[in-house]
Amino acid sequence: MIELINLTKDYGTVLAVNNLNLRVATGEIYGFIGPNGAGKTTTIRMMGGIIEPTSGKVIISGIDMKEDPLRAKKIIGFVPDRPFLYEKLTGMEFLKFIADIYEVETNIITPRAQELLEKFALTDWAHEIIEAYSHGMKQRLIIAAALMHDPRVLVIDEPMVGLDPAAVRMVKDMLKNLSRQNVTIFVSTHTLSIAEDLCDRIGVIHKGALLAQGSIAELNLAARTGNAGLEEVFLTLIREA
Amino acid sequence: MQSLLSVLLRPRLLSTLQGIKPGKKKGNRWRIFIFIFIGAVFWLGAFIIFFRILNYFQSVEGFGDILALRLLSMIVITFFTLLLFSNIINSLSHLYLSRDLSLLHSLPVPAKDIFISRWLVSAFDSSWMVILFSFPVFLSYGMIYQAGAGFYFLSFAGMVFLCLIAAAISSILVMLGAVILPAGKIRSLFIVLGVALAILLVLVLRIIRPEQLVNPQTFASVVIYLNSLQALDAAYLPTTWISDVVSAALKGDWKFSLFSIALSASFAFSLIFINESIAKASYFRGFSRAQTTAKRLFYPVTLGNYNWDALLNFLSPAAKAFAVKEIKTFFRDSTQWPQLFLICALIVIYLYNFSVLPLEKSPVNIIYLQNVFSFLNMGLAAFVLSAIAARFVFPAVSMESEAFWIIQAAPVSIKTFLWIKFFLYYIPLLIVSEILIIVSNLLLGVAPFIMALSIITIFCLVPAIVAMAIGLGARYPDFKSENPAMAATSFGGLLFMLCSFALIAAVIIIEAGPVYYTFMADVHGRNLSLMHVVRLIASFSFAFLLCIFAVFYPMHIGEKHLSKT
Ligand SMILES: Nc1ncnc2c1ncn2[C@@H]1O[C@H](COP(=O)(O)OP(=O)(O)OP(=O)(O)O)[C@@H](O)[C@H]1O
Ligand SMILES: [Mg+2]
Repeated sequence: MIELINLTKDYGTVLAVNNLNLRVATGEIYGFIGPNGAGKTTTIRMMGGIIEPTSGKVIISGIDMKEDPLRAKKIIGFVPDRPFLYEKLTGMEFLKFIADIYEVETNIITPRAQELLEKFALTDWAHEIIEAYSHGMKQRLIIAAALMHDPRVLVIDEPMVGLDPAAVRMVKDMLKNLSRQNVTIFVSTHTLSIAEDLCDRIGVIHKGALLAQGSIAELNLAARTGNAGLEEVFLTLIREA
Repeated sequence: MQSLLSVLLRPRLLSTLQGIKPGKKKGNRWRIFIFIFIGAVFWLGAFIIFFRILNYFQSVEGFGDILALRLLSMIVITFFTLLLFSNIINSLSHLYLSRDLSLLHSLPVPAKDIFISRWLVSAFDSSWMVILFSFPVFLSYGMIYQAGAGFYFLSFAGMVFLCLIAAAISSILVMLGAVILPAGKIRSLFIVLGVALAILLVLVLRIIRPEQLVNPQTFASVVIYLNSLQALDAAYLPTTWISDVVSAALKGDWKFSLFSIALSASFAFSLIFINESIAKASYFRGFSRAQTTAKRLFYPVTLGNYNWDALLNFLSPAAKAFAVKEIKTFFRDSTQWPQLFLICALIVIYLYNFSVLPLEKSPVNIIYLQNVFSFLNMGLAAFVLSAIAARFVFPAVSMESEAFWIIQAAPVSIKTFLWIKFFLYYIPLLIVSEILIIVSNLLLGVAPFIMALSIITIFCLVPAIVAMAIGLGARYPDFKSENPAMAATSFGGLLFMLCSFALIAAVIIIEAGPVYYTFMADVHGRNLSLMHVVRLIASFSFAFLLCIFAVFYPMHIGEKHLSKT
């Protein structure tokens, strides 16, 4: 479960996130959409504990990120928007590094890493240094890394950027599967079709504030767009904001 | 807890191992060899110099020990200053600016552990070179004073504690700076630091006045001078404790040596403890603030409708665009600033030293000495220039980093690209080095012939050095590096230094003979024989051709390599 309470981030020059309140139930997939510069990445970085909110709270499964960042981070799987990795490590070494940080039991690290590499079609590349990976391969590796410790909450910033169609399908199926196993998923994306068929609920953020949230039907109600698709709803909401 | 730290250090270890894994790249063995070779040359050079200085001190009746100990405390102070400087720069980037930090901070690791692992790495990066180069110093002391193993062990331990103390002080300063400075201004710490350090450097050198050591004949003044230095040996300064460790061990006064080392150790450990507490309280907050992108420090000066870039209108539009981009990038990168200030400080010291050279006390003919100095000065200025080029010009191509594809995709040839880079650095460096050479020659009061010679030689050497830096920088680029400025210490950077030194030495040697004849003829009012004129012209033409070759060949190699990638 994720709760954001009055979350605000002021960069001094811009108010990137303005008094955001939202709640994602256990096992729910919550989509976060909004124009460029709306504050999605900033929100997600605060959820991951990478930047401090100016005010407000991030609560992950009842744990306040500010009070007990370690316990909170331990149950999160975090995927940043840009796949920065240790370029000089191999894929396998990187997964092991992550596993050790999250204190995954030693004897299950290798099988788990192999299973994930297999799933993300990286087995052949496991022992190459990451510098030599393509963009999509780095993206797959970083998602795999976020899953090493069986997180109860997944926070993903634009998961599909750079992935091939097969990988997109695989990640979608995997996220649905995880949600069935009661993993809470918060995902930001620009691909509305994915948001549409993946997410239980969707929040639209614009200039740091939540414009509307809910299922597609509820969003249609808010935008007074009748029975339109997400694209229409999104554009209407942004235009009228 | 212990194991978490080792996990945090692992990416660094594994990356280093990948870097030296044999067989991956063909040239690897060569590279390692060149690194070791250059290291060994410097190491040996340092040893020989110190050994000879100390030997010379021993020959000074009655004052040898005082001078040797004085030199020791000067060395310790210099080391400490160097350590502080590199530690502050390193800890700032390791703790607040590295790209992987946002990954680390998303992990369930206490900020304190991230801090400690980063602090260790940064302390190591800043210290290993100083420790390595302290060995020849201690070795020469040990040999002159016939000290035993205990001396070496204690000096080494002393150096380690000196490094720890410097690292701990630096990180305290950096952490406080990160919390106190407004968010987004943390990078300007670099600038504050640069200015502070430049001033400090000038002060330290002026306080210790190293040139006095050269002149021990005047005993009375030495005694006065040494007394004036008492301030530097204040009992509460860590540098004093470390000097005491070494000097007491040298004299076999083990009790005092051990006491001093215990003092340093307890100080180092309490500082580390303080660091830990500060990190717990404020490291994450500072890091979070450092995430805010810096506001710009300067805005371009506009005079009415004139923009400074109108000055570049004589260039083709594409060339002008590159030039403007290059200049803007350089000045907006605040990490460049401290180095610029440092160079200014070095130049001031350099010139100052010429104004205080005790030439008139020398028994040798003054005119002769002045001009020999001037000739050497030419070489020295060129060496200084190579060092500057290694730091600023060599990384110029690598600076394009991940954005190099823009140049590749742009409708501009690699050749034009490289030559624009060349001119951008050539012109300012030429101005700086000519000023350096003219002012120092004026201070020396050299003959017009030597003055003209220096001006022309530097005029030819500067383009050669800049072209070698650009060309080799293009031949060995590193577009993936997080900190392209580090390229100076890479294989290509060292190769550049070697080539540049070789060229300077060659030019100086070629010119030396004929210049000597001409100069002596000048002094004695003789005319030059035809033979000498021919030799003069021949050797100068050869030096000139060498410089021309050094301009075009490296540029060609660089261009060929970049066009292929
Ligand atoms: N490091 C930073 N320093 C200062 N301002 C920032 C910083 N990062 C983001 N901002 C500002 O905060 C606002 C929100 O940015 P954010 O990256 O959260 O947007 P986003 O919704 O993720 O956009 P995109 O869809 O393009 O990824 C923007 O106005 C941006 O300019
Ligand atoms: Mg974003």
